[in-house]
This record gives sequence, C-alpha cells and structure tokens, in this order.
Amino acid sequence: MFRQSVKMAWKSISSNKMRSLLTMLGIIIGVMSLVVLVSLANGAASSVNSQISEIGSNLLTVNVKDDKGRPLKLEDISELAENGEIKEAAPVAQSSVTAASSFAEETASVYGTTGAYAEINEMELYAGRFLKGTDIENHTNAAVINAGLALEVMGRMDVVGEEVTLEGMEYQIVGVLKAKDSDTSTTENLEAYIPYTSLIRLVQDVPYEVTRFVVSASSEETMDRAQEELEERMLERFSQDEDAFSIVNQSAVMEAMENVSNTLALMLGGIAGISLLVGGIGIMNIMLVSVTERTREIGIRKAIGAGRGTIMMQFLIEALMISLMGCAIGLLFSWAALKVISAVGDSGSAYTLSMGVAWIAVAFSMGIGVIFGMYPANKAAGQKPIEALRYTG
Amino acid sequence: MIRLNHVSKVYRIGGMKVFALKNASLHVREGEFVSIVGPSGSGKSTMMNIIGCLDTADEGEYFLDGQIVEEYSEKELTRIRSKKIGFIFQSFNLIGNLTAEENVELPLIYQRLSKEERKARVEDAFVKVGLSDRRTHKPCELSGGQQQRVAIARAIAARPSLFLADEPTGNLDSATGKEIMGIFRQLNEEGKTIVLITHDDGVARQAGRRIRILDGQVGGEEVCSGNQ
Repeated sequence: MFRQSVKMAWKSISSNKMRSLLTMLGIIIGVMSLVVLVSLANGAASSVNSQISEIGSNLLTVNVKDDKGRPLKLEDISELAENGEIKEAAPVAQSSVTAASSFAEETASVYGTTGAYAEINEMELYAGRFLKGTDIENHTNAAVINAGLALEVMGRMDVVGEEVTLEGMEYQIVGVLKAKDSDTSTTENLEAYIPYTSLIRLVQDVPYEVTRFVVSASSEETMDRAQEELEERMLERFSQDEDAFSIVNQSAVMEAMENVSNTLALMLGGIAGISLLVGGIGIMNIMLVSVTERTREIGIRKAIGAGRGTIMMQFLIEALMISLMGCAIGLLFSWAALKVISAVGDSGSAYTLSMGVAWIAVAFSMGIGVIFGMYPANKAAGQKPIEALRYTG
Repeated sequence: MIRLNHVSKVYRIGGMKVFALKNASLHVREGEFVSIVGPSGSGKSTMMNIIGCLDTADEGEYFLDGQIVEEYSEKELTRIRSKKIGFIFQSFNLIGNLTAEENVELPLIYQRLSKEERKARVEDAFVKVGLSDRRTHKPCELSGGQQQRVAIARAIAARPSLFLADEPTGNLDSATGKEIMGIFRQLNEEGKTIVLITHDDGVARQAGRRIRILDGQVGGEEVCSGNQ
C-alpha cells in the first residue's frame, strides 16, 4: 500500500514537472542557504581554530608594558621554568629583515628566542637541530629556518650547514623546520629563528630587555594553575601593578572564537530556516491547488474503494516527496557551491559540507513536508465522494 | 439483495425543500438486471448514489445484502464500495494520468490484493471487455467506447456483487452503446446483479426489468424481453 502511494505520488509529481520544480525551488533555496551558510561559518571557525592551535593551545603569551625599572633579563625567563606548573619559558622578539643567498633575496620575519621556543610551539625539524644554550650565551650567528624560507630563498630543503645572509650578516643554517601539513609550502611565511642575543645585535629596534615571552604549561589541564602562578610572579616583580603586563591565554582566545562562530552559525542557520519555512508554505499552497484540481479524481478514488486514510497518505506522501526531493537537490547544489567557494577562495581553508547540518536540513525538510502537507491532505481526505464526483473544474 | 423502504432525500435550495426522492421503495434480487428509467431531474441519480453508498437517505431504510446501510460507519461504507459495488459512470471517470491498466488495477490496490492476484484479475477483466491490446494507453488516447470498456473492466476486476451503471451509454454513439450493453448482458448471464440508470427507454428495455421513476417517486414496473 505504502509503495503504491509512493508510486502514485511520483506519478502526480512527474506529470506536473514545471510546477513541481518551482515548488521544490523554495525548499532547494532554503536548504542551500542553510547548509552553505552554516558550513561556511563552521569552516571559517575551524580554520581560525587550527591557526590558533598551531600556535599551541597550552601556551601563555606575556607582554610587558611597564618594567618599573626592573626589566626582565634572559636569566629571569629561564628561571621561571625551573619550578611549579610552568614547563618552559622563552623570550620572543620579532623583526623584519632581508634574507638572501646566491639563489634569491626575500623579506623575512626573524625571531630572536631561545631553544625552549621550539618545544613550547611544538615545532618539528626537517633536518639539523634547533637553537642551543651555547648559541644564546655566545650570540652565535646560527639560524633555524622554516620550510618557506628554505624553498624561497635557498631554493631547496637540504641546506643545513650552508650560509644565509640576514640583513647583511652571514648566518649558518643549523636546522630546517618541517613544512606544516595544513599549508602548502608556497603559501608559508618566510621565517628564521636566531638566538635572542644575536637579534639584539642584528637590528636596532629590539632592546636587551625582554618585553615579550611565551610560557607553556605541562599540559592543557594545568593551564589555569600555570597562569595563576605566572600572574603571581609577575605581580611580585612589577610591584603588584596589574597594568604593567598582560597575559594572553590561547585556549581562552580559542574558546571566545568558538563562541563567536557558534553564535554566527546559529544566526545564519536561523535566517536560512526562515527561507525553508517559506518554501514549506509554497508546498502547502501548491498542494491546496492540487487538491482542488483533483477533486474529481479524489471522488473517483473514493467511489472505487479508497478510504480516508488512503487518500490522506497519498497527498501527504506527495508533499513529503516534494520537500525531500527539494532537500536532496539542495544538498547536491550546496556541495557543489562549497566546492566552488573552496576553489575560488584565496585562503587555504577548504569548506566542507558538514554532515550535521545536512541531517538537520533533511529532518527540517521532512518536518516541513509533513506539517505543510497535513492540511491539504486532510482536506482531500475529507471530501464527500458524491460532491467530489459532481465537481467540474 | 437491494431493498429500499420508503426512502426520501431532501435538498434545500434557497430555503425551499425539494424532494429528490420521495417515499421511494425498490427491491432488486440477486442476479437481476434492472434498469431505472426516468427523465433528468427525476431523482434517479440520487437513487443511484444511495444504492451505491455514496450518499445516505434522509428518511426510510436501505438494506444491502440484508444489512441496513445507515448503521455503517464511513470506514465500513468505504469497504462496501470497495468490495461489493462496481461503479460505471456516464463520463467514464478514469484517472487521466494513469494508464488503462493502472486504472483497472486501482480498486485492487485499495482491496490490498497481492501483486500476482492483481495481475491475474486485470488480465481477466481486459479479456472480458475485449480490450487487451490497449492496456498501456492513457485514457486520452482511447475513444469514448474504449474508455467505457476500461471503466467496466475496472468494475469487473474488483469482483463486486453489484454493478451500478449511471447512463453508461450516454456519451457514446448508438453502435458503441450497443456493444457496451452487450457486455452488461454478458455479465448478467454470468450471474451478476446489474442496476442500470438511464433516461433512454431503448437502453432501459434491454434490461430484464424496468422501473420507472418520476419526480422522486417510483412509478410502474414492467418486465422486458431483455434482448433487443
């Protein structure tokens, strides 16, 4: 019986192709806006999240604004890591320099830091080693370069032991970092890491005092305790002035970002939901027209033995079929649209159709089909056979 | 099989009471071929609707197979229409977007018969009306006579005990009409009860018994020779 009803519904949909398609269009557009908008919001959020977590999620960044005459020295930073919840600490200073070799010349970011920096940021080496304590003490001209710099300036990856010129000074390359899997090497920034003590000498704008440093907790769970401890120590040092420094917690930033993107997705989804609702009203409208048009057919069916339930089911299935077909087409289009957006978009983030949203779209379409099909179906089922047979439309 | 006892049906048109049927009584035995004849507006269609369980009487009693119809629920009326009554209409009333075959199969689907059973019955019905070669055509591709044959096949396939035909030849030329009447006589010979409603005396005379109806009241009855 059910199969027959489906067959009949399909017959009626396919015998009115143009009208069915236009009715579906409402659902198609609704589903597309729902799926595409929410997927875009999710994609944007996950790309931001991955960028943040690339920096490290168990990471605290401290910026010193006012040293109160007691500036932080390199030794102070390494002392921080010696006990408590703080695992590692490394000073960071950044500057922009010209990196050159016999192969090419490019502008690159150079970071002055210590060996701990690599561990805090979970950097992986392609070849060679990272900076050592002796490099810092002796302010040697040693540099660790990332894959971007290796490929762009040196021309290849196997360059450990070779020389690179940073701002006119020759540096020996002691290590090369692995390319990040999320980016292709061509889009990677050009970066070099040299001893903090060497950077002070290389460029003018980096002072001897440490104004910025990063700290890692032993794990993400102990982040809060590490932050408390760090705060305590800094307050102690800077005469209890909270405004002298700031601590940025990566996971807090990530959480905030997640909240923002969830709200955004919800809002966009809500707007798209409205258009889906409008599509549902379109279905109801066309189903009502269809019931009126087919009054005589309903009369015939009733005369030859169709009951109330049978007629009801036939029209309900028809409404459901229109909405589900619209949903399927909408999902297909969304998938294609997301492919196009990913291909055209310049950022490396790929937008994928999120299965969760797809299921929500299917459930929503089904609900709309049933709710907006119910009234016309009930109207059809309630027709009196003689009146329906007498109808000439 | 059919017994109408003092049945009345009233319509209200603009505050005026109009009797479509007034105190009409009728008895049809199993296996009979009865025609109900009367001019238009005489109440014969109302009578057919009541006999066919498409409508209920305002007064009086209607017994079908010994059971009073007023006591049936809508669901049971649907079941009676499905299993006991085969309708044949003046305007054929086939469903336009279904093929002839699908139209004939429809009542069998409503009877929830198995696929094999449906197939066998459809085949059999088409043979009986002599239209086996047009089974996959849509109604609009068939002539009036062919469409009426499909409609009869639809009634036959359901295997009802009573065939109710409302002006079955009204939209057909006389030659085709005669062929259609031939099918009815053949069905009657097989033992089926047939009630035929018409305004045409010539058609009515082909039934075994003729009942006249005028202004909602049953007039005379006469027995016909039955094969003109």
